[in-house]
Amino acid sequence: MLITADMKMADLIHLDFQLLAVIQRIGINLGFREKTIDEVCKENDVDTDFFIQIARSFHDKDYFPKEKFFTFKAEWLIHFLRRTHQCILEYKIPEIEEKIKLMVEDLKETTRNYELIKNFFTEYIRELRVHMELEETQVFPYVLALSECIESKTKTEGFEKYFNEYNIQRYLEDHNDIEEKVFDLKNILIKYLPPPTDSCKYNSLLFEIFKLEKDLQDHSKLEDKVLIPKVKLMENELENL
Amino acid sequence: MVRILVAEPSYLVRKGLSTILNELKTVTQIEEISSADEIREALTSIIPNMIIINTTISSMPQVEEDIRKHTPDAAVISIFNTPIPKNTNEKTLSVFDDKSVLINKLRSQVKSVQQTYIQQENSEELSEREREVLQKIALGKTNKEVANELFISTHTVISHRKNITRKLGIKTVSGLTVYAILNQIISMEDIS
Repeated sequence: MLITADMKMADLIHLDFQLLAVIQRIGINLGFREKTIDEVCKENDVDTDFFIQIARSFHDKDYFPKEKFFTFKAEWLIHFLRRTHQCILEYKIPEIEEKIKLMVEDLKETTRNYELIKNFFTEYIRELRVHMELEETQVFPYVLALSECIESKTKTEGFEKYFNEYNIQRYLEDHNDIEEKVFDLKNILIKYLPPPTDSCKYNSLLFEIFKLEKDLQDHSKLEDKVLIPKVKLMENELENL
Repeated sequence: MVRILVAEPSYLVRKGLSTILNELKTVTQIEEISSADEIREALTSIIPNMIIINTTISSMPQVEEDIRKHTPDAAVISIFNTPIPKNTNEKTLSVFDDKSVLINKLRSQVKSVQQTYIQQENSEELSEREREVLQKIALGKTNKEVANELFISTHTVISHRKNITRKLGIKTVSGLTVYAILNQIISMEDIS
């Protein structure tokens, strides 16, 4: 079903509960009563069209209006990406970490295999943090400064001072793939690790890993297909001011 | 599992192809892309056994080269936006083909793909050589070091690595290390 502005916000969640993540990350709280998407967005100072486009593309992987996304403010996108980082680092990752630790505890008498998994995941968390911190401390501030310059039609002082030498190409050069290890972890758990007796815990761990992978894929798609091309356009615009 | 990449700019045609492929009842993973920009990433991430590609995409610069480089064994089927004569090669489809023609051509192609290298893939066992390469990679050696130690070229090491990744479904070095320990190819003490 096509998501539209006159749809009730509560119905949207019934349609696809995964969109709860979008609603939370865009900065909207639950408790909608009978309000429509448009009404809820306006109350929360969220651009309705931006919300609709994000919700549609998270709901249906074939729907991805790239050009349309370029027209939205970079700030909105960054705000959304930041909340996603936060959610992944502060909530999803610790949850998986906790589950792995439990497995190690439960099985330490019989096998050391889960320590391997734990170490593998610890290494992954470190990489993920580095990756996300780089975006938080360099890329996002850069894009915000760039956007300010374009709005004021001149290179601002702050931009000249901090980012005159920087461009998005530099970021792309040391931008590494953060999904590969999750893919590996999934396959190791499904195919190669002898399963423990309590498969309920095991399944719930795998389930969380699948969700994390999907979340990271959606996140990277927004960064790679929208944010970065948009920043390139903005860089050109600044050049031609 | 037959992995198929559909590279077709038209959403309608793409969906139509996916629908027909899904009717084939073979376990398939279908990935869709709409432009030449996305092809390299798709080739390396899903490593398709079969590529169904519109000629407007395959004629773009670099595309054929990328396919040859990343998936030299994949069966490539072309889709034409124009009508094509009947009884042409089974590796060409036209958007004007009717369902019976399409389904016959696709079925025989998928079948032949299945027979040729799905068999190899199902015998997921690594070859003796691949085990040796894996052991060294898992110990943290570079492609070059592995090549020197086994008296083979780096190129060969890379191609072994591709096969290992394809067979095991593990892409990163740390993932391969975990696999190697679980399967007693190396021991935990070796890496500490």
